[in-house]
Amino acid sequence: MTTTLQTPPTLIPPSRHPHADIIHRLEAGGSMLPDTPENLMQIIGIYKAYAVPMDFYWRDLLYIAEQVFLDPFPFFKYFISQEYLDRPNHYAGDTADLRIWRGRASAHPELLEFMEKGELKKKLPKLLHHLWHDRVNMEFAEECMRAMLWHRHMYAPVNQFDAYLDSDEYKQNADRAIRAYFKKNPVMLGLYKLFPDMFLEKVRELSYYSNLGLFWEVMAPVFFEMSDIYDEGGFKGVPDAMNFLVNGIFAIAGRPIYHHAYIDGECYEIIPKSKGFTWLYEAALPYVEAVFYRTSPFRGTKSYNAQANQVPADQKDFHYGILYADVFPVGTAGIPPTLLMQDMLHFLPPYLVEYYHQHCRGEDDMLVQLGITFQRSMYNVTSAVIQALRTALLYPLDDPNPKHRMANRKFFEAQMDRFLRPEARLRDIQSPDYR
Amino acid sequence: MLSILIWLPIVAALVLALLPSSISGPKVRAIALWGSAGILAYTLFLASQFDLSNPGLQMQEYLPWIEPLGLDYRLGVDGLSLVLLVLNSLLTWIAIFSSSETTERPRLFYGLVLLVSGGVAGAFVAQNLMLFFLLYELELVPFYLLISIWGGEKRGYAAVKFLIYTALSGALILAGFLGLVWFTGSKSFDYSALMGQTLPLGLQVALLVTLLIGFGIKVPLVPFHTWLPDTYVSASAPVAILLGGVLAKLGAYGIFRFCLSLFPDAWALLAPGLATWAAVSILYGATAAIAQKDIKRMVAYSSVGHMGYLLLAGAALTSLSMVGAISQMFAHGVILALLFHLVGVIETKVGTRELDVLNGLLNPIRGLPSVSALLILGGMASAGIPGLVGFIAEFLIFQGSYAVFPVQTLMGVVGTGLTAVYFVILMNRTCFGKLDNAIARFPQVEWSERVPALVLAWIIFLLGIQPNWLVRWIEPTSNALIAAVTTPAETRLAIAPIAKTPDLLLMSSPVSK
Repeated sequence: MTTTLQTPPTLIPPSRHPHADIIHRLEAGGSMLPDTPENLMQIIGIYKAYAVPMDFYWRDLLYIAEQVFLDPFPFFKYFISQEYLDRPNHYAGDTADLRIWRGRASAHPELLEFMEKGELKKKLPKLLHHLWHDRVNMEFAEECMRAMLWHRHMYAPVNQFDAYLDSDEYKQNADRAIRAYFKKNPVMLGLYKLFPDMFLEKVRELSYYSNLGLFWEVMAPVFFEMSDIYDEGGFKGVPDAMNFLVNGIFAIAGRPIYHHAYIDGECYEIIPKSKGFTWLYEAALPYVEAVFYRTSPFRGTKSYNAQANQVPADQKDFHYGILYADVFPVGTAGIPPTLLMQDMLHFLPPYLVEYYHQHCRGEDDMLVQLGITFQRSMYNVTSAVIQALRTALLYPLDDPNPKHRMANRKFFEAQMDRFLRPEARLRDIQSPDYR
Repeated sequence: MLSILIWLPIVAALVLALLPSSISGPKVRAIALWGSAGILAYTLFLASQFDLSNPGLQMQEYLPWIEPLGLDYRLGVDGLSLVLLVLNSLLTWIAIFSSSETTERPRLFYGLVLLVSGGVAGAFVAQNLMLFFLLYELELVPFYLLISIWGGEKRGYAAVKFLIYTALSGALILAGFLGLVWFTGSKSFDYSALMGQTLPLGLQVALLVTLLIGFGIKVPLVPFHTWLPDTYVSASAPVAILLGGVLAKLGAYGIFRFCLSLFPDAWALLAPGLATWAAVSILYGATAAIAQKDIKRMVAYSSVGHMGYLLLAGAALTSLSMVGAISQMFAHGVILALLFHLVGVIETKVGTRELDVLNGLLNPIRGLPSVSALLILGGMASAGIPGLVGFIAEFLIFQGSYAVFPVQTLMGVVGTGLTAVYFVILMNRTCFGKLDNAIARFPQVEWSERVPALVLAWIIFLLGIQPNWLVRWIEPTSNALIAAVTTPAETRLAIAPIAKTPDLLLMSSPVSK
């Protein structure tokens, strides 16, 4: 699994790219994140802290897509049923299709404990925990889903999932489900007659709920397993952690992406598995593009004023994802990632808590410190995606043909071009003092 | 007993100075803090003993001292001094609280602070001109040392400038006092003996101008203010609190106690000119503050502007404007102390006072949110936003002065507008915006650093909502002050309707019943 390679310097000349040092590291099989024990400890710790809320996110996303469906007043959409908490993850436990995490298939015990007692450490009715805001910030998961929905045309024509949402076949499937869902509700049926597109668009959104839920169903066990491997001393460095992700991506790439809705116990296949949509192309790559790179401008940092021209007119120029985000204002009004940072705060492993206590303001600015760690870890995940793409589309890193090496180089340079904007945090994460 | 207020701090100062060096700095600070808290408690006790129905001097003390010089130890307190005594004790406590735990040479530092506190208290209660002068001069050297030893950069220059200006101020005041006594042929320097003197008007004007310049340097009034920005900026936060909160009030107190009360005829003659002078001071202070790039300098210039209101109120000389003026002394004292404390905290944490470098301090996690929030409150109080004590004082002054000097009052109103301008600039550059990620790893603000600001903010807020608790002490004295001053008949007629207003304002105060 571990392949640390050295580019023979004679084969092709060094890159002249401003990020040449990072490109050379990628060509040697490394990550965008420097390989230090401190970085490894940080990213693995944060994977663990991210995976626990993620275990809730994917379950609730699927619960909303499949069960809440078109409920016009979804007051309790974050109160997921026991069935969904017990729902076996397809990649963990004894029943797994492809066992990634050696742990259990139902919800993570830390998550269950948090849902029961919350920050208050008190057993209270779910509703009171919710009203006291002692809960998982599910709004963040929905925000990610909406980013994917809104940026949906970005990968055409590679991405088939999007195109399918506009097809007649999809419309018919959705139509059947909508009619079935509202069959006892003449008001909503009447509204559907008047404004069919309104409901159709809502179902497209629900399909993205399902898409993201299925994406995270994979990532949660991956991160749990990485944390376990690290605890056992299995990772020697950051490239190992990246390579685990690369291998995971390939292992899982062909998993199906679908959208089923359950109405009165009957399953409506809005996007059937038989369409052959797969995890890598229809969920993972769009997710990375939409959430890591693009999302939408934070309301607390950019003005949406059209005359001010602060927000690009073209969606492909959006650069507000975690790779570009300014994490220092986390905790302030108008900074969406705060929701996720707050979620991860509850599940930090002890070694990371201790680490944060030794730096900056210790406990008081842990939210910002863990946010920056999270940014580092997502640079590592993005590195894995870039390496996986290179493996899929181009040549091995140790290819003896200089032309092939050059093609790899061009690919890496094109990827690094995206980090030439001043907002990119790639330069910051190279330094251990960025915290 | 008023003597305790003078001698307790001075004795405490001596005790501190003589403490063995085995006692650590933080312990010395704690002793000074408890000592000043005791003095504050005693001051509040005295205030509770104060008889609001008696407009004259209370708690008088008399000891013959050097009879041939006319110098005796005569103390007394009225509403004007009482408010300032409380302010002095409060700010001494705040200043010590706001000082760093690791102040160098703590014995000398806290000793000097307490010495200053005792001297200022004495000057406020002295009823003998020479005694007042002695205690007034007592401030000179301690402040010089406080600035030149514990100040920032350019402290040597600032301290010398302060020393020269203040010494000059002392000389002018002494000349005024001596002239007054010699020309009236009085045997003693007693304040009461000199009240109601009948000197020719020309002589009165000459003496008044001498004293006005003497006190005007200390207040300070434009153009005698040039020592102030350098001194305030070079002084450390606790010293700046004392300088701006207490020492400036000493000058203002001198103007009201001596210039206005001892030379009523000359005062009435010069009043229009004084009002214009005040208006110019206000506008100058505000516009100069707008131009500053250093937040401490801004606050320093704001002080110049705010002191102008006192002169305006004094020139108008209505009972309402007098109440306003004394309220303004107190209000300005606490507001300035709050601002200087916060600026001090920002400087220690961030390491700069530059408007162009500071940014985003309201950030709740990485910034200084509580300090920034209090800074906004302080700025609003200073700019005269209703609900805070600054508004009460300024509104009383405007209401009391408008009938007498409408144009100058309106200029003063424009001045408050400009005050809002530079405080908004300050807030905007300091608190708003985003942190610079390259430098934003500031240390946490400790609770002990927040407490002084919270106490002051609470006072500012409380007295802004319930101004009676401030003006009730002042009203009888200021009425008596106005009554004692023989103003020309036409001025009196003009102010007659306004003089009734305080009764409405003070409906619940026991005095008006």
